[in-house]
Formats: sequence, structure tokens, C-alpha cells
Amino acid sequence: MKNFFISIKRTPFQSAASFLVLFFSLFLTLFLFITLAFSESLLSYIETRPQITVYFQPKTNENEIFKIRDELNNSGKILSIKYINQKQAFEIYKQMNKDNPLLLEMVSADILPPSLEIYAKKPIFLPQIAEYLKKQASVDEVQFQKDILDRLLTLTSILRKISLTFFIYLFLMTTTVLIAITHFKIALKKEEIEILNLLGASYSYIRRPFLKEAFFMAIFASIFAFSIILAILFYFHPFLNSYLQGISSLSLNILNLNLLIWPINWSFLSITFLITSLFGVLVSLFSTFLATKKYL
Amino acid sequence: MIIFENITKKFPLGNVALDNISFSIEDNEFVFLVGPSGAGKTTIIKLILKEIEPTSGSILVDDLDITNKNFSKILTLRRSLGVIFQDFKIIYEKNVFENIALSLLVLEKYSSSQIKEKVREALTVVGLKDKEKVFPIQLSAGELQRVAIARAIAGERKIILADEPTGNLDPKTTWEIMKIFKKIDKEKTIIFATHNADIVNSFQKRVLVLRDGKLIKDLRKGKYEL
Repeated sequence: MKNFFISIKRTPFQSAASFLVLFFSLFLTLFLFITLAFSESLLSYIETRPQITVYFQPKTNENEIFKIRDELNNSGKILSIKYINQKQAFEIYKQMNKDNPLLLEMVSADILPPSLEIYAKKPIFLPQIAEYLKKQASVDEVQFQKDILDRLLTLTSILRKISLTFFIYLFLMTTTVLIAITHFKIALKKEEIEILNLLGASYSYIRRPFLKEAFFMAIFASIFAFSIILAILFYFHPFLNSYLQGISSLSLNILNLNLLIWPINWSFLSITFLITSLFGVLVSLFSTFLATKKYL
Repeated sequence: MIIFENITKKFPLGNVALDNISFSIEDNEFVFLVGPSGAGKTTIIKLILKEIEPTSGSILVDDLDITNKNFSKILTLRRSLGVIFQDFKIIYEKNVFENIALSLLVLEKYSSSQIKEKVREALTVVGLKDKEKVFPIQLSAGELQRVAIARAIAGERKIILADEPTGNLDPKTTWEIMKIFKKIDKEKTIIFATHNADIVNSFQKRVLVLRDGKLIKDLRKGKYEL
């Protein structure tokens, strides 16, 4: 650690350049990672809501509804279907309007429509299912939050592509810049390296300080980038709170691990920090490894 | 023991730095390399350091044939050599202690307490015991050369290669430096390239006289003769 600070003192501009490029890359990586995690968890949340609710005409025969339900089940596109008959619908109605006796007096079970709440295996099946249902004679109305889902699907897909492109770009940019900076540092230490060679220093001994510096630089840049992201996250916390009003929690399922994203969860943030630090350390070490291999 | 057998070194443009020279140097022997500029003194030192390869012939250093194409013990070789240059080759960002410690640190086998002990031993030999925390910028040329000598003798370096180490020093400082070489004489093999006739004449050691890449004289207890 002492040598790390001595090296910064000896080459302040090169060290500052290394730090800034790493900080910039890691800050963007963190930002993209958190945004992607939020949008993915939001998508997962919406996928757990009834995706299509189909209302049948009140006098539709139950067998006809079951026939449609079975056909949907056999299509291979359905995760689950819940049938709500008129009695159950009335119970739900009563529950929803328990504080309004006037509304309860006006409605009876036989005027409420039976319905199916449908959950698809993938959101892309929803338009096809909705289309199928609309063609059925007994169907009165199909409620399908197509716009929201479409937008979220498109947004998540774009975010994934942008993130991937950005990761590749950041990786290449950081690697190239760090190689150039390490080359400068090697040039500045040319005489010292020459002396070390004459004294019989091994290649790994000469390379080690560069790699150690790269490691610590990445760790410091990760900590700094993470602190800034945390500050931004907490600054916008009230806005996020009002924006996500009504959504009690958002979570992501990664490798059978249910990770809570919202409300702000320290486990998620810790994992984010670890992944970013790992990315930073790998990029930094990889660049320094390449530079020392080429120029030492 | 160092053995040169029929060594020729030609540089790419055709100039011959060494022309079929042979000699051997015993362990703990003190040998002066003398000759005018371009005679081949530095080439001999660079060949022993394996900084350059001979065009033909073979060199043995402690039974290691360092000219063999399959030679892979360059670290072992260099770790047995202490090198002193006319321009000191000191790292100015490191203090005296750190400069000398480098010679031991690269061996990657000593603990920090052992390094401290060995650096202080070397500093005592060169008379810089009280300057271990001083930075090179604060030292005179003579003191810088003492640091370089301390770095060369620290640890178990058995062969000292000195390439005109007094070339940049005034007469008084030159003799102070030579006193250090007298102290380590018979403890290490010393190959000392110089132009200074007074030093060679006063030491009465073996002298290898080079001219135009040829070994023209090999004198036991010799004097400076060209």
C-alpha cells in the first residue's frame, strides 16, 4: 500500500488519468447495472399480475368457459388460469365496496360477468392469447395491458442491448487507455527497470508493482463510483418512492436466489458493488498485464 | 571462476569489439581491464552480464556456460554479479537504504530484518552508515558511487563488475572509492575496467591490456601499460 501511494506521488498525472478512466467506466457500469436490475424486476413484477382478464357475458354456460380455458391450457403458452364465477365476482365486489352500502344494494351476483385471469409463460404470447379470446362469441371484454407491457418489454430489451454495447465499449476504452498510461509509467521507470534487470530481478518481480497499483486503483475507483451512485440513489429516493407507489416490493430471481431490489436493499447494493469491483479489478489487471507483457 | 574461450564479438555494422580473446579469472581474484576507449573493456563486462551475446566462442561463469543457446539461468547468473557503473545508475526517487535493499529484495528470499542487517553491513563497508535515509539528490558524486558499490556487494554477489567506476570522480574521491575496493579484495572476484594508470599501478594486481578488441597483454602484478 505504501508503494502504491509512493507511485501516485511519483506519477501524479498518470495515476489521476488511470483513476478517472476507471471511475468513469465503473460509474457507468454501476448505473447501467442498477437501471437494468430495476427494469428487469419491474418486468417480473408486472408478469406476476393478471396479464389478461377476460369477461364473459353473464349468462355464458360454465362448460363453454371451461372449454376455452382447456384450449388455452393446451396451447403451451399459459402459466396458469384462474376462473372466477359470478358468486366469487360478487364476493370480490362486496369486499371492494364494503364501505359503500348504496353500491352493494344496486348490484347482485347475476349481473356480474364470470371471468378468467390468465398468466402467460412469456409476455410475447399475450397479444396472441388476447386475439384468440376476442374471437370467441361468449367473450364480452378482454382487458389486456398491452401498451404497458409492450413498452416495458421494448425498454428492457433496449436497455439490455445498450448495456451490452456499453460494457464492450467501456471495456475496450478502459483497456486501451490503461495500456497507454501503463506504457508511460514503464517509460518513466525505464532506468529503474534496467537496474532491476541487471540485479537479477525476475520478470514477475518487475511486473508486480504495476499489477498491485492496478489492483488498488480499481478498488479505490470502485469505492468512489459506488459512493457517488449511493448518493444519487438516496437523493432520488423520495422521487422513486412516489413513482413506484403501490408497488410494495420489486425483486429479481437470479440463479434461484430471490434478490430484493426495491425498497432499497443492502444485499442487492453489496452484490452490485462486488460485481463492479470485480469488473474494475479485471479490466485494470488485464490492461496492465497486456502493457507489461508488451513493453517490459 | 570466469573463463573466456576464443571470444569474438562483431557488431551488426561490422566493427569488431573483441577479436578471438581468451583468458580465465580465478575466484576472488582482482583483475584490471585497461585499454583506450573502444578497446573492448565494456564489451567484456556486458558479455559477462549477458546483456549481449558473443559472435563466437564460449564464456563460463562458475561452470555455467552462459553462451549456450539453451542457457536459461540468467537470473542465477545476474544474482551472482554486482555491477558498478561510471554513471552510478542510482534510483533518485529511493533513499540510500532503499537503493541498496533493492539488490536483496530482487532475490526474494530475505526477510525485512535480514535485509536491514545486510544493508547496514554494506553501508558500514562503504562508510555511509549514517546516511541510509538520505536521498541521492543530497549526496556528492563520491557518495553516490559508494551507494552503488554497497548495492553491488550487498548479499551474496560473488563477482563485482566495475565499469570505470572512478571515471567521473576527482582524484581525492577516487582514492576513497579505491579504499573500499581494497577492503573487499580477496572476498569477491573483481573485474575493474579503468583508464586510471595511478590506480592500476598502486594496486599491483593482474592487468589485462586490450587494444582494438585484442588481448595484447596479461600481466600478473602488472602496471598500466598500453
